[in-house]
Amino acid sequence: MAKRKSDPELFLPLTPAMFHILLALADRERHGYHIMQEVDERTEGKVRLGPGTLYGSIKRMLADGMIEETDERPDPDMDDERRRYYRLTDFGYRVARAEAERLAGLVKTARSKKLLSKA
Amino acid sequence: MTAMTANNSKLPEKRVHPLSLRLYGFLLLAYPLSFRREYAPHMAQVFRDCYRAEKINRGLPGVCRLILRTLLDLARTAPKEHLENLGKDNSVMNTLRKDALALIGCLGIIVVAFFLLSYGRKHEVPSILIFGYALDALVTAGIVGNLIVFVLVKTTRLNPLRTALWVLLIVNGVLLLATAIISSRVDPHFKLGSVMTGYVVSFLFWFALHWIWSKSGRQFAVSNEDLS
Repeated sequence: MAKRKSDPELFLPLTPAMFHILLALADRERHGYHIMQEVDERTEGKVRLGPGTLYGSIKRMLADGMIEETDERPDPDMDDERRRYYRLTDFGYRVARAEAERLAGLVKTARSKKLLSKA
Repeated sequence: MTAMTANNSKLPEKRVHPLSLRLYGFLLLAYPLSFRREYAPHMAQVFRDCYRAEKINRGLPGVCRLILRTLLDLARTAPKEHLENLGKDNSVMNTLRKDALALIGCLGIIVVAFFLLSYGRKHEVPSILIFGYALDALVTAGIVGNLIVFVLVKTTRLNPLRTALWVLLIVNGVLLLATAIISSRVDPHFKLGSVMTGYVVSFLFWFALHWIWSKSGRQFAVSNEDLS
């Protein structure tokens, strides 16, 4: 069984790929290709995860208890049974939130230094 | 909308270029075996989906960009997975470390026995000369026997302890026979009983070391399982 560390701060900063995967899984469970599609769409094609990056990150996130495999399939009739679906765990949600707060802090600093215009 | 989102992942399989897939399947061999076992089919599936999307939405240029991106991704992530694997307990590095430790230990024993023997002969120390025959056997059988055991264990799937038993038995037996035949003709003071005792001690000593080594290896594996 995967060992989980209770403190999300221990995992920060996350790699961009890991954070994108957590964001993709924040609203629903998805399989590998759906994760790639969601990231590609959300970033308007600026971030494209390769299969090695995607599954390497998934492997590490499963081991750290941030995500888990699920048997639930959103649309079983339209889907391939061989695909593996992943979803965020409570711990993964906390890690994603901690990373988002860390990035928000950086953005705030950038604004205070006039590197970014106020939203 | 980007190329990847403009497609459906349930498109028919026959549209996929088999050569590209076969090539990607071959390139996946760059990843460690444990990683391939778990994720290679899913990576191939993702590549297949991306290939379809690029072919439909962007044609050949899109496919070429996908292949280039995938190759770069592979070049970046395969070494990373191998490096991670090296840190694991059953990795190649740990096996090499264990082998090196065993080799250094054997060499150390042989060197100590050799110096003890030389010192005893040079200074005529009776207490050391008593063990002369055993030390002779220990050095000779140790070098030859352990070398054969090491090569056999590394190149075959034979049981290491059983291999050590038979090899050491044969090597000590052959050396005893050779010493008995040659020395009895050359040395008028040759004592078969002493030589035989020497080789029995040598066999017991080296086999006991292999037995302890195999037991400690098993305990090492068990304790690692407990930790994981």
